[in-house]
Amino acid sequence: MSDTIIKLDAVQKVYYLDTVEVEAIRDISLEIRAGDFVSIAGPSGSGKTTILNLIGCVDKPTSGTVIVNGQRTSDLDDDRLTELRHRSIGFIFQTFNLIPVLNIRENVELPLLLDGLSGSESKAEREKWVDFLIDSVGLKDRMLHKPAELSGGQRQRVAIARALVMKPAIVLADEPTANLDSATGESILRLMRKMNETFGTTFIFSTHDPDIVEEADHIIRLKDGIIVEDRRIVEDQDDKLGFRPSVRATSPEATSTGLNGIEATGTEGSQP
Amino acid sequence: MISARLAWRNLGLHRKKSLIIGLIMGLGILILFVGNSLIDTTISGLRRMFVEGYTGDLMVTGPTEFSTTVLGETAGSEEVLPHIAQIKKYEDFLKSRQDVASILPILSGQASFGIGEEELGSGYCFGVNISDYRAFFPDNLTLMSGEWPEESDEPWVLLSEPTYALLQQSSNTEIKPGTKIIMTALANSAGTVIREVSVKGIIKFNQSNEQLAGITLVDADTMRDLLGFASLRDGAPKLSEHEAAFLTDFDPDSLFDDLFASQTIMTESEEQLELALEPSQVTAEIVPAWQFLLVRAKKGANTSKLLDELQVFSEQLGDGDRVQDWVAGAGKVARTAVTIRLVFDLLVAIIAVVVIMIMMNVLVISVNERLHEIGTLRAIGAKRHVVRSMILYETTFMALIAGAAGLILGFILLLIMGKVGIRAPNLFFEALFGGEILKPVISIGAAIRAFLWILAMALAASWYPTRVAVRIEPVVAMRGE
Repeated sequence: MSDTIIKLDAVQKVYYLDTVEVEAIRDISLEIRAGDFVSIAGPSGSGKTTILNLIGCVDKPTSGTVIVNGQRTSDLDDDRLTELRHRSIGFIFQTFNLIPVLNIRENVELPLLLDGLSGSESKAEREKWVDFLIDSVGLKDRMLHKPAELSGGQRQRVAIARALVMKPAIVLADEPTANLDSATGESILRLMRKMNETFGTTFIFSTHDPDIVEEADHIIRLKDGIIVEDRRIVEDQDDKLGFRPSVRATSPEATSTGLNGIEATGTEGSQP
Repeated sequence: MISARLAWRNLGLHRKKSLIIGLIMGLGILILFVGNSLIDTTISGLRRMFVEGYTGDLMVTGPTEFSTTVLGETAGSEEVLPHIAQIKKYEDFLKSRQDVASILPILSGQASFGIGEEELGSGYCFGVNISDYRAFFPDNLTLMSGEWPEESDEPWVLLSEPTYALLQQSSNTEIKPGTKIIMTALANSAGTVIREVSVKGIIKFNQSNEQLAGITLVDADTMRDLLGFASLRDGAPKLSEHEAAFLTDFDPDSLFDDLFASQTIMTESEEQLELALEPSQVTAEIVPAWQFLLVRAKKGANTSKLLDELQVFSEQLGDGDRVQDWVAGAGKVARTAVTIRLVFDLLVAIIAVVVIMIMMNVLVISVNERLHEIGTLRAIGAKRHVVRSMILYETTFMALIAGAAGLILGFILLLIMGKVGIRAPNLFFEALFGGEILKPVISIGAAIRAFLWILAMALAASWYPTRVAVRIEPVVAMRGE
């Protein structure tokens, strides 16, 4: 799998703090391939979260193009952006962001319930899938507990399960280990990697921890809002072996949205 | 419904805020329910008393600019209310309708009572055909002594208990059935009118207040004489033997014998005048005068519609007659009760605005405290309508719970008040309560109105917080808590 699932082209994002313009990122161009395990690294204020926000369709660029899963985000209205997030993107937050009034099972199931249970799968199949995910993150015996009754690491595991429940093509994790001790952080990273390998889901996580950065197979380093390093470990290894990954222009959808020469990957591609 | 589930659980999580809003709502519904029940009890009591005892559902009155009570009190005028000139047309119109149960013409005015030269007191009188009156108000009259008058009776009066007591207190003579009483009234055109009537009986109005309890019933023709409608009597004047003998022997021409003794030729116009004054021709066209035509609607009939259509009919007749409901006919007591309701509703509306502001503030604070949660919901795929319905569910659940609590408390309070009763502090309240003690009845209508008020207030209060909530962007979720 070497198809581009995310492309940023000459992206700039400016924030306005009262009358002061703050350029969070400038002239950012990058491509992320489906199934990659990507880290976005850099010091605080370097623009990591801004890039995740743009990829996660929770924010729009001031200029430039962001294409996610074949769709140019600036072309979409709020409902369609919400739909894109819901179907194609899973979120893992630094502060876990579990809903306090729901138990673990309900938190994991929540994105499915937002769908109004209108999918093609039966309720039993969905419940089985939710149970499978909770089991996969090792919280089968905590299923009926409230988030407040869990440790930080356990909450982040719940967040991972929730991020995967819609079988998204992409999972974004903003500093997923920042609020955890190093051992728990490593276990969370291992879990994410396992999920990446098991389901083929593209994982993109931001971090400022140099040890964790190196766990990725595509590293993007930022400094002061610009990319200072964009390195694919796998590609480097491929280069050493003397070949490059092929790029095909087969998807009319990709062509129409400006993703010329690159095949778009739908949500189906990330089915377990 | 995930938004309903989230809303329900959030109420539990944010107990303090839920409790504050719930208390406000519960108190609001309690005040609305109990207040409206008290007013409903008062108005329905007054309505029952007047409609079933004095006014009927609606009434037509003679031409007047102002509304007139059934006691003949016209705002802004001391004059006697004119009679309804085309009463037959009203009767025909009303009798042809399916929604009218019965009609009753009456006369109303004030007169003073005396025996011989002695004046004993005064009071309100209704001039009626007693059999029609009793048929129209079958449950409101009790004969305490004497007997009911007959058609053929000489001019009669039925004294009410309080009037009888008043007269008896002032009189040296024992007043009893058969006693002759002199009634005097100041009619518009006829000046002072004096009529002798015979006490036929003592009556009691079963439903009344201090004012209504003293009404005296008089035969219609005597009342016509007293009001100045002597030329519009139903029958010829009933004269005493002495009066009859005087009129039989009296030759009015003899008064002018000295003046016109030489003139014997009658002109043609005088002949026509005499012909025109032939008694048979004159009396044939006389319609007895009535000032009020009371209308009883059939049970379940739409009285507002009947009032409107009667109003239109009256306008078509063009006499300037007035069509009014029982409230106008009942006068200031009923109008006060209706006004109290309006004032209560106005106060409730003002309080509602304040309550809505308080609730809105608490809800906005609640939304602002949940920015992260709502942002997360938006980030993981909740569309704006999910967030909107979550906030609306929260306020609706609160309204339902607080509403139910307020209603239950209200029911208990009203049950206690119904058992104990509320004592009227003065005569005005006695008139309003229809007695010394008001025993409020639980009004289902009041409960429904109170509940709808609270629900509307809750929804109005959640309008702005909902707007704030749906504007929360998903990017908020990415920020630290």
